[in-house]
Amino acid sequence: MARLAGLIVAGTFVLAACSGGGAPSGGPSAGNMDTLIANAKKEGNLTTIALPHGWCDYGDMLAGFTAKYGIKINELNPDGSSAQEVDAIKANKTNLGPQAPDVIDVGLGFAPQITGKEPTAAASGQTPGPAETLVTPYKVATWADIPDSAKDPDGYWYGDYFGVMAIETNTAVVKTVPKTFKDLLDPKYKGQVALSGDPTQSNQAMSGVWTASLANGGSLDNVQPGLDYFKKLNDAGNFVPVIAKTATVASGETPIRLTWSYNGLGDKDSLKGNPTVEVNIPTEAKFGGMYIQAVSAYAPHPNAARLWQEYMYSDEGQLIWLKGYCVPIRYDALQKAGKIPADLAAKVPDSTGTVLPTLAQITAATTNIAKGWPTTVGVTVK
Amino acid sequence: MTAQERSLTVAPNPAYAGTAIADEVLAPTTKTAKPPRSRWVFVWWIVFILGVLYFILPLIGTVLFSLRDRPFLNAYTSILGDPQFFASLGYSFIVGIITIILSIALMVPTAYWVRLRMPRARPIVEFVTLLPFVIPPIVLVFGLISTYSHPPLPFTYSDIGSTALLVFAYVVLSFPYMYRAVDTGLRTMDIRSLTEASQSLGAGWFRLIVDVILPNLRVALLAGAFLTLAIVIGEFTIANFLARPAFAPYLSLLGSNYPYQQAAVAVVSFALTWIAMALIAVVGRGSRNRITVTGTR
Amino acid sequence: MTGAAQTMPTQGATRPGSRRFGWTWLGLTPFFIFSTLFLLIPTAYLVIGSLQDSSGNWTLQNYSDLSDPQTLNAYLTSIEISLVTAVAGGVFGLLMAYAVISGGLPGRFRSGLMTFSGVASNFAGIPLALAFIFTIGRAGFLTSILSNLGLNPYDHGFNLYTKLGLEIVYFYFQLPLMILIIAPAIDGLKKEWREAAANMGATDSQFWLHVAGPVLAPTIIGSMILLFGNAFGAQATAYQLTGGFINIVTILIGNQLTGDVLHNVGLGYALAMGMVFILAITLVAYSFLQRRSERWMR
Repeated sequence: MARLAGLIVAGTFVLAACSGGGAPSGGPSAGNMDTLIANAKKEGNLTTIALPHGWCDYGDMLAGFTAKYGIKINELNPDGSSAQEVDAIKANKTNLGPQAPDVIDVGLGFAPQITGKEPTAAASGQTPGPAETLVTPYKVATWADIPDSAKDPDGYWYGDYFGVMAIETNTAVVKTVPKTFKDLLDPKYKGQVALSGDPTQSNQAMSGVWTASLANGGSLDNVQPGLDYFKKLNDAGNFVPVIAKTATVASGETPIRLTWSYNGLGDKDSLKGNPTVEVNIPTEAKFGGMYIQAVSAYAPHPNAARLWQEYMYSDEGQLIWLKGYCVPIRYDALQKAGKIPADLAAKVPDSTGTVLPTLAQITAATTNIAKGWPTTVGVTVK
Repeated sequence: MTAQERSLTVAPNPAYAGTAIADEVLAPTTKTAKPPRSRWVFVWWIVFILGVLYFILPLIGTVLFSLRDRPFLNAYTSILGDPQFFASLGYSFIVGIITIILSIALMVPTAYWVRLRMPRARPIVEFVTLLPFVIPPIVLVFGLISTYSHPPLPFTYSDIGSTALLVFAYVVLSFPYMYRAVDTGLRTMDIRSLTEASQSLGAGWFRLIVDVILPNLRVALLAGAFLTLAIVIGEFTIANFLARPAFAPYLSLLGSNYPYQQAAVAVVSFALTWIAMALIAVVGRGSRNRITVTGTR
Repeated sequence: MTGAAQTMPTQGATRPGSRRFGWTWLGLTPFFIFSTLFLLIPTAYLVIGSLQDSSGNWTLQNYSDLSDPQTLNAYLTSIEISLVTAVAGGVFGLLMAYAVISGGLPGRFRSGLMTFSGVASNFAGIPLALAFIFTIGRAGFLTSILSNLGLNPYDHGFNLYTKLGLEIVYFYFQLPLMILIIAPAIDGLKKEWREAAANMGATDSQFWLHVAGPVLAPTIIGSMILLFGNAFGAQATAYQLTGGFINIVTILIGNQLTGDVLHNVGLGYALAMGMVFILAITLVAYSFLQRRSERWMR
């Protein structure tokens, strides 16, 4: 019986290996918009992944796309992580069904894992090696407006938006709102400060530590001061080791949390003053976190995928992101062309002077924070 | 088989066959009588109340939080007004029922066979049934997708195929609970005598399982059914990556920056699942003839 | 009462007339085929993936990474939390199930508790963690009530965000699981035995020691391993409640497989294989305990 089972397993593997792996597909060039639209409409569907509706107002983006082109969008895993997006592409290479994502929106740190050009991120103990090509190059019509530092020269990936690390405060519970990292160490905030995740698992939380580093004498290449800061915060009893979300901010359990500015401002809107929330960018450091877009090399709907990119990078799409408090990557170009409505511009915190790390810096910081967090700040084993 | 032949009875536990106690226990009964000792009842009341308190306080906490939304009860009206809420709940419920049936059909004969004929296989079978606990669901779903997204078994190419794959995955998830429940139930029966008696009366395997074993497993099967349904309704990862219109993926679309709604959803789905369980319990109560077998004293 | 021979099927018993040992395995064919198709094949991905690095080369690096002190500590903590909640859930679940089935409580309580347990058994993850935060978190409603009475638990050393707090939360789905699983066994404990034992002059402790105990012991042990596995594999609850501060294996696996920061998939798989291994060992210990407890019956 065991032998038979083994044969079945082996046989399935042979089959999987033989029929797996589609070649990355090229697509129509950005110039033939009408052809693209026609082909996309023929495909009729688009599968996205990890796009929460309240994140950068993706809700309106998705609705706007469907309204404009009549293409139905199939949303996978809204709360998914970048790792899950990448793994979803890998698992669905031969799948033409609605489980295979057409496009992904991942953290910049994941770029090496999807392009097949650079070695994979050297997480602790991992041997770097050639990565797979999971995405296919595509340059949107407005390609030139994207800063060079924010895109892959061959078009494999391109930055979409960024946010700034901020301090979100429930002002119904916290009367004196902290505005700096130094403020957070004040004893009056005992048991009130939290990160939005575990720095070894959440990009947002890791960025929080990195920002703390910048605020305490560190730099984009030196994250140790950030780790030391959180150790101090934890020892002082101010730090609460729980994942801070809107719910815990609203309930008063973690009335102060470090989060991306767009999340904090999104909370402010969705809570509608119940309770009141204030979002402040720490004066000591303005740290930006950028995400990138890419089209899957195994996309079942390659034309719809490209049309989606075109939509997001059009003026209409970029302004939707701005509405969601995310700074769209074409912000400077739009501003020069005077396309940004004044009221919208006023709502987003001033992003000038935001420090955006390079890919290499992200890789290094990720490794160092992931390694340092458990040992420096320490896991409490009571 | 006549009604007379059907009403055979025996003490369920073979350890006590032929003992003085068994002699006292001739009458078949499915009702448990109340013990006469009032002292003990007091203790059990305390135990029960403590348990209830523990269970209910976190639920109260969630309800209180959800009521903070303004206008009052807004969290509840916005969910209950959304037709997608009930559509996805209905889908998960139906998938749950199918999973329960399939799981019972697979597990009862297996557990029976292991107990009766292949005790040696017990460790292997138990290990396999416990594996779902330690296989991360994301590994399970990606493994299933990778294997079944191309010929010869392209489940994911069609809606019905994907739903079938979902059901199969859920049956796997129900393994530990269903097996343990059925095994516990089988322990309380003398399946050896039941089998021999039924076979000597001419019943085949199918008849044996369906008419003799299953009715005696009512309590155990209900337990397994409850556990399976709860898993199916609450399961997120697999339903999500298989792109199924199930309840948990729908909930995640509600977004985590609407905390009062999220809390209300937790409460409402708790209540609705409880109602679903009660429905199953009513159906399960049924009017099956309980067949038990007399042994010799 | 004692001395009745246990008539369990003897090892290797086959149907009269069938001499070939192999045939009895056929009865388990549906189970094994189904398991292979939908459980063992994905598990194979796990095994193979754990032996590869990120570029697909064969390596044992992932397994040697498991000897990292933080990782070993994570395994120990996971085992500890699972054991504690399995035993606590087992004991109290047994008591509660007995209370509603044979304890003299109104009959309605039984079906209410059973159906409630069905729902509660899967009330886990973020909603459960939040429920406890809303209740006994620092800003929880119960905490404020107690605070107003001058008994703020946080002033007396209690903290929800500790191992103890996590165990208290895990108890919420362990307890109902035990109640449901042990119910059939308690149901099978006939009321008449209790009365008969009393009629014959047995005290309560004698009843439990010589009748109910032996009958229930194998089932109790079997249920506890279920509870152990249930807690062992839990992740979402712990992650939300402790922000990863409590070092358990499932969170480490989550870091690698579903995080935004690390993505060493091979290591994640190896960690999961470690869990499979621990489960296998636990099963061996459990089988041993089971056989001993069944001997108690004789």
